[in-house]
Amino acid sequence: MRVMALLKSSPSDEGRMPTTEELEAMGKFNAELVEAGVMLTGEGLHESAKGVKVKFSGGGATVTDGPFTEAKELIAGFWILKVKSMQEAADWIKRTPMGGEDAEIELRQVFEEEDFGEAFTPELKEAEQKTRAKAEQNAGA
Amino acid sequence: MRFMMIVKATEDTESGAMPDSRVAAAMARYNDELARAGVLLAADGLRSSAYGTRVEFTGGGTTVVDGPFPMTGDLVAGYWVLQVRSREEAVHWAGRWPAAARTYSRLELRPVLEPGHHADER
Repeated sequence: MRVMALLKSSPSDEGRMPTTEELEAMGKFNAELVEAGVMLTGEGLHESAKGVKVKFSGGGATVTDGPFTEAKELIAGFWILKVKSMQEAADWIKRTPMGGEDAEIELRQVFEEEDFGEAFTPELKEAEQKTRAKAEQNAGA
Repeated sequence: MRFMMIVKATEDTESGAMPDSRVAAAMARYNDELARAGVLLAADGLRSSAYGTRVEFTGGGTTVVDGPFPMTGDLVAGYWVLQVRSREEAVHWAGRWPAAARTYSRLELRPVLEPGHHADER
């Protein structure tokens, strides 16, 4: 199964760039995850001041620039992990080097084709596989 | 530059019900359009938070809390990673979000940190 691990931040503590020591500790942790065959991908996000929100209502779309000061929690980064169980994902994530800082990482199960059952028709499945192959090509380009 | 496009959870996505085939087909067309334009790098949907777990780091220790989690408006239901030339292009693609899928009505676009940004962007 694949698990998405979402690193949270709050509007008050986002925007601080990591120090060299923090980057080094996170780099080591990520290398260990990759070495174990657990980490598929991972990214950090710029603070919400550089982000945009799009809200759809009544057929229209409203675009709002960041920062998202009203949010209780924001996402600072994520990993996609390939694990056998949610427990295994939690065991890895507990070892994230947070440098003693309070933080929260949310683990969420990623949908796989088989989770959708019959609603995911053979036609949709084929289209999905083509889209994924093209996306992988885009990512490699 | 890359943007992460995050779609927020709704009561529908949290109910655990699967999207109906009309919505699934509309999303498939949208994703295909993104892929053909060379914009789509990755995308996934997430199962409801009932399948999730939170790891909290406090005072040097960790606490594990199982889902479901409250609908605070910040709960995530899925994500895309888009390769675009500008923020405007990312907003353009978000605006093409399929009408059939507008029950999922809130998207957030966040630029991804690229190596080298650390020093010069601040």
